[in-house]
Amino acid sequence: MIKASRKGIVGNGIETIKNLSDSFESKNYRGSIVFKAYPTNDQKKILENICPTKALFSIKENNTMGLDNGKCIMCGYCNEATPKLIEIKNKPAMPTKTRNQLIDYSSPQISTEKPYEQIGNELKEKIQKMFGRSLAIRQVDAGSCNGCEIEIAALNNPIYDVERFGIHFVASPRHADVLLVTGPASRNMEIALRRTYEATPNPKIVIAVGACACSGGIFGDTYATTGGIDKVVPVDVYIPGCPPRPQVLIQGLLLAVDRVIKNGI
Amino acid sequence: MNKTNLENYAKEIADKFSKMITMTHQNNDEIHFNVELNDMPKICDYIYKNLNARLATIICSDKQKNGGGFVIRYVFEKEDVFIFIIVSVGQDLSFPSIALHVPSATLYEREIKDMFGLVPTGNPDKRPLVLHEHWPDGIFPLRKEFKLETKLGRQEKEYQFLKVQGEGINEIPVGPVHAGIIEPGHFRFSILGENIINLETRLFYTHKGIEKLAESMKLDDVLFLSERIAGDESVANSTAYCQAIEKISQVEIPNRAKKIRTVFAELERIYNHVGTLAGISTDASFPFGAARLNILKERLMQLNESLCGSRILFGVNRIGGVWCNITDENKKLILKTLSEVSDDFTKIIDLLKSKSSFMDRLRGTGTIPKKTAHELGVVGVVARCVGIDIDTRRDHPYASYSLHNHKTPQQLMEHKIEMEKRTGDALARFEIRVNEVRDSFGVVRETLDLDNDALFTSIPEHLEPFSSALGYAESHRGQTLHWVMIGENNSIFRYKVRTASFCNWAIIEQAVLNDIVPDFPLVNKSLDLSYSGNDL
Repeated sequence: MIKASRKGIVGNGIETIKNLSDSFESKNYRGSIVFKAYPTNDQKKILENICPTKALFSIKENNTMGLDNGKCIMCGYCNEATPKLIEIKNKPAMPTKTRNQLIDYSSPQISTEKPYEQIGNELKEKIQKMFGRSLAIRQVDAGSCNGCEIEIAALNNPIYDVERFGIHFVASPRHADVLLVTGPASRNMEIALRRTYEATPNPKIVIAVGACACSGGIFGDTYATTGGIDKVVPVDVYIPGCPPRPQVLIQGLLLAVDRVIKNGI
Repeated sequence: MNKTNLENYAKEIADKFSKMITMTHQNNDEIHFNVELNDMPKICDYIYKNLNARLATIICSDKQKNGGGFVIRYVFEKEDVFIFIIVSVGQDLSFPSIALHVPSATLYEREIKDMFGLVPTGNPDKRPLVLHEHWPDGIFPLRKEFKLETKLGRQEKEYQFLKVQGEGINEIPVGPVHAGIIEPGHFRFSILGENIINLETRLFYTHKGIEKLAESMKLDDVLFLSERIAGDESVANSTAYCQAIEKISQVEIPNRAKKIRTVFAELERIYNHVGTLAGISTDASFPFGAARLNILKERLMQLNESLCGSRILFGVNRIGGVWCNITDENKKLILKTLSEVSDDFTKIIDLLKSKSSFMDRLRGTGTIPKKTAHELGVVGVVARCVGIDIDTRRDHPYASYSLHNHKTPQQLMEHKIEMEKRTGDALARFEIRVNEVRDSFGVVRETLDLDNDALFTSIPEHLEPFSSALGYAESHRGQTLHWVMIGENNSIFRYKVRTASFCNWAIIEQAVLNDIVPDFPLVNKSLDLSYSGNDL
């Protein structure tokens, strides 16, 4: 749980976390949705009707149901309607390289997890291989509600402290390797986002952060939004969640760097 | 609510303008007057100047399909009463502007012009507000005939910024993509040397069409939309929305739910104020203080997660009550965390106050003139920093705030003297936030004595079409107002949101005048404005 200060806040020791499993992940956390059984036709209808962002959808060909983590905003309506079928786990959904990988099906789940510092150190090694010493990130808000910004800003606090892995946030896209983009790409930000992308030197990585950036989320695809960052600029990694927590963000960065090493740009 | 206040104002206005008022109607703490369009400026002027009421918001709705044309509601706030002046706009699609008498009306009138295509005659500010220059002329998103999914091309046009000319004057354009991890907006500075002589802000980059979108959603789903108006004001905005629906359906929510709403609203205030104080410390170039305060913010967000499953308090409210219970175990956790955080908080604040370089940077920076603040109708911390004594929690008690309003005459007097001393600079805003965090610790502790009734109560299946109500709450930024009008089949006919940021953004252009450019981030952070909450 929450650490008590020992010598008091002004003079206490290291606050930075080493381990993801340091139990600060509350058991109440609404992280992701998992199917516990195969849904019946009635249940499918209920779920499709109740989901506010249409993240749950049935697939006619093989009679299963899909869950698009890129749309899910963790409201918990599906769990309330069909508690036997759907479980809310406190493990967040993980970032993926393609939009389709964000979709889970009503089949058993396997998930693995590594300690925060281990992810960080792997990332550090890969960054060294790829970019020399450090990874420079430019965050672009393309119409988010500010929820994702709070979590991205938290990456820089003494608890998560990403600078120790050689990651830092820079002031201009011209200094950046990675664009971390949030929001459903509002129409008024479309041109600014495109210009920011053009101003970023190659090789560049674009990461879509949060349900809005992945799919438009609750804001959808309307006169004022474009329905996802990938409608405006090419996206390399999708991070689901509303908003994604800091350790998922760093997992997304790892995936992004990995992708560049394997494929090259 | 004080019934006599309502009756008095209703009588006063009805007597004064008896010939002009066609219909009067009361709805809880709202009095509605239907008047003719041409008489409206006179009545609004009287309410604003003689009754000394604040303009709370101006709401337009499109009733053309229902045979009513466009209807505009001018909402004034006086003590605990909301006064609605309702007019219908005729075929010429224009209405007289009241901006020259009530300066804060300017922004609302420009918004109506963009979204509904009604022209405010006599409004000196002809610039577009919500829709940027690329938006085609003659298309108005909030009209009913406009379809939500419409995709339009872009037209070539350039926005004209005010030109400040003279020897030695330079322009600095900033944004919409900023240097820090913040939201988008454009600032155009005109500077002489280092001093800012004019600032023009250009916002609405994050406009997501929330009001239009709500009209296509179910009542329960709009709740999630309201939480995402501004991610850090989720409890305040969802509370305001729920209260509007509860007021329409005449439902009283259980006491336990009221108290839980209060607890979460105050936890939201605490974590955000701590974050803002950290931001002020960063922008005043004192990262040590910021780092320590951010540790506290993180602990508070972890507490949020343990209580309701979301680090930024999504999923607390539901229509008719709350989703999220506070168990006895959670009570202990809240008390324990808050007592640790409040000890640490005191230590950091003492440290910050002992640093003369930090205090000097804040003192006299970003000073707001009281008269300007009054005219622009600012709310929240920004109003209180110049001594305008408004607080929705006290003026219109909602949730369980009426339990915390009892003050002795001496406390009231001390409060009044304190208000008179406020100077309107960044230091005043810093100190108000510190005090509010301390008060919030107290409110949470007092409120944790929960009643043992239900978490929520059910809402009638069917709500009367075209019934409406105003919901309100005080977020950490100030008053947030949500006006809902129900449509047919339990849909939403019109959802008008006015967050605190919409009122407060205008003041920044005045606050930075004659300050130096490097002070701008500090002034901006001390005002703590939301882009998303403004742009909708």
